[in-house]
Amino acid sequence: MAGVMRAARPTLPRTAMSLPPDPLDRLLERWDEPGRESPDLSPEVWRRINQDARKPRGVTAWWAEIDAWLTRPPFAALFVACCALLGLFLAEVRVNHQQREQSALLARSYLQLIDPLLKADAAAKAP
Amino acid sequence: MILFLGLAVGIAAHVVYFGLHRPYDPGTLDGQLAWMKSELQLSDEQFQRIRELHEASSPRLRSLASQVAQMQSEFAAFENTRRNSDKVDFIEFAQFVEVRRNISRQCLDSTRRLVMAAAGEMTPEQRRQYFGIVSAAAPEASPLTN
Repeated sequence: MAGVMRAARPTLPRTAMSLPPDPLDRLLERWDEPGRESPDLSPEVWRRINQDARKPRGVTAWWAEIDAWLTRPPFAALFVACCALLGLFLAEVRVNHQQREQSALLARSYLQLIDPLLKADAAAKAP
Repeated sequence: MILFLGLAVGIAAHVVYFGLHRPYDPGTLDGQLAWMKSELQLSDEQFQRIRELHEASSPRLRSLASQVAQMQSEFAAFENTRRNSDKVDFIEFAQFVEVRRNISRQCLDSTRRLVMAAAGEMTPEQRRQYFGIVSAAAPEASPLTN
């Protein structure tokens, strides 16, 4: 492996006079071959593969994922705050919508309040 | 659990905010004036003076409105009699028209005085907007702002 790394290392033309020694050279010389693989490695890999295969898929997995996120207090607090903000936003939209609708009605009502002729006309037209 | 908590908090925030910013009630003087204050961005002092003007003229306007309503019902009775008996008392009708014209003139004068007095408390920009509201609400009704 170290040999491969050394072989793959880019070789730039340089002269001893012009460039200082590269610290990477020292590190590469200390490179050792990796030790023998652990005897537990293969069972551990298979255990994780099996564990992953047993995980729920689809909607259940999605819910499980959300549930896992919401069990963390910071995310739970963030979620509740977002819900509150959404509620406030929807209330603001609703208030604006109703105020727009009632604006013309209020203008007519106001005019009927200050003009008795209009008020009498409106009362006469009312069923 | 957290999902339900979030839902509950969202609904509570919605209900409280909507309750605090409920649209004005068009059926009351308070609701109409509060709407006018918000629409014209009146200051508290302007709002108070305009409110006093409206409250001061309210009894007279109500009295005129009841006279107009009475004239309308008298006219309906007059018209009913004319249809049934096929007779028209022209003198009575002329008197009726004269009284009605007189009441209409009083209504117009009272309304115009109130509108002008209220407009007098406003800035030019508010006044322009106020006249726009008043004339847009009843373009064919009466030349209030002329």
